[in-house]
Amino acid sequence: MIGNSELAREFWETGKSATCPIYDMHGHMGVFHSIHFPRPTAEDMIRTLDEAGVRMLTFSHHWALFSPDQGNRPAIEAVRRHPDRLRAYCLVNPNYPENTAADLAQFEQHRDVFVGFKFLAGYHGIPLTDPRNAPAWEYANEHKLLVLTHTWGHSVVDGPGVLREIAGRYPNIKLLMGHSCHGEWDAAVALVRDFPHVYLELTALFDDRGIMEKFVREAGSDRMLFGTDLPWFDPHQAIGVLCNADISDDDRHNICHRNAEKLLAPFLG
Amino acid sequence: MRFFDCNAFFGLPMKRPLAPVATAEELLAEMDRAGVERALAWHVAQHDASPQMGNELLAKAIAPHPRLVGCWTILPNQTREFPAPQAFFQQMREARVAALRIFPSSHRFLARAVSLDSWLGPMAERRIPLILSVRRGMDWRDVYDFLRDVPDLLCILCDHGCWGQDRLFRPLMERYPNLHIDLAQYLLDGGIEALVADYGASRILWGSGFPESYFGGMMMALKHARIPDEAKEAIAGGNLERILGEVQL
Repeated sequence: MIGNSELAREFWETGKSATCPIYDMHGHMGVFHSIHFPRPTAEDMIRTLDEAGVRMLTFSHHWALFSPDQGNRPAIEAVRRHPDRLRAYCLVNPNYPENTAADLAQFEQHRDVFVGFKFLAGYHGIPLTDPRNAPAWEYANEHKLLVLTHTWGHSVVDGPGVLREIAGRYPNIKLLMGHSCHGEWDAAVALVRDFPHVYLELTALFDDRGIMEKFVREAGSDRMLFGTDLPWFDPHQAIGVLCNADISDDDRHNICHRNAEKLLAPFLG
Repeated sequence: MRFFDCNAFFGLPMKRPLAPVATAEELLAEMDRAGVERALAWHVAQHDASPQMGNELLAKAIAPHPRLVGCWTILPNQTREFPAPQAFFQQMREARVAALRIFPSSHRFLARAVSLDSWLGPMAERRIPLILSVRRGMDWRDVYDFLRDVPDLLCILCDHGCWGQDRLFRPLMERYPNLHIDLAQYLLDGGIEALVADYGASRILWGSGFPESYFGGMMMALKHARIPDEAKEAIAGGNLERILGEVQL
């Protein structure tokens, strides 16, 4: 048994919990060039969500990461097929600023599908603070949306310094730091302490022993969000880490669902 | 399920990690907390300081703890830094050490038969497993070259990364029947089921990557993988038990 709490026992025995549903705030969908996915389709992913007790996944389609005009469409269709289990982030690619207005119009047209935007500056090669990204940030700020952005420690396009500027500039958004400035942990904690609308999203951190305890201790579990990059990472691996980490069941509830429920409430009616 | 970890270490690394585990006793306490029965363990000094010093530290540390089986580190022996294999294997038996590791890039040699010849033949004959870590000491080209040189050696490929390595290790699984892989960092959704479907369970070993990774992550993933129970038991510990049971020192 990987942990000695009541919740850990339930997850260990059944793979899911009746009292602790999971909201996965960082997913994708579809095949991708650099990896083989055994379960890449929306239906495959729903199966995974069922097996691990994940009530809802918010995601961006892999195609949209590179070509929003192509990729936002399958995301919309997937949410339409599974409205109780999926919501999407809308992508914009600042390398093609001439398309941004159309992407924002698509968001406007599908407000029931999208909960906000996803930024991928590390791949797009353009800093989050670049003026070409501004229309999407301003739209998100005006409409009080969620923004999940890929972040990485020591990055000049989406590292802590850039995020500090963004957090100060757009106080109405909820800023989900995907991967929590991976490797620059103290800077990520400092951002959460300095800005009440900034959150630590945990995708790819479940492989780093000690980080759950550090974040709970220094930032608080009320600012941490469950995420897996699904279909990249098995949610059971993440659940196993949360059960094994030296944190309380109350922290586990915050991370798995309470924080996400508050963030998603305005979008779920 | 009985868990026997093929990939855990203790000792203080030169660079401080988030959650260091200094001693064998601390490792055992964490194993108890997670429900891990046994571990094939090594000491980080084998990599960070020197194999000789690390091997000695490991032997002393595990001596009082039968739940820990040792894994030492070797070097090419053209420099005469180690005893001849026969004498070294005798030392392994006395220290309850049943597997070996190499860290070629850190220890400044090439993982090729020409470097390690004096070890490899006797190791293959005695079924002594050699652990290769992609995280520490070998890149994929090294692994490919090495396995081409030593197809008869029982190798366990560890720490192969979480960002999609199937296209890198599956060709090796298909070419080399003596190659085994561990699950530390194999976070891929549906990955365990896909591997078992394609290759069976007998060459897949549960490893934690502890203390850099949590024990619980891949334990939970394995426990709830959609594979038969007997495959889970084999991966959790049965395969490693079988491998170590075949070692002749």
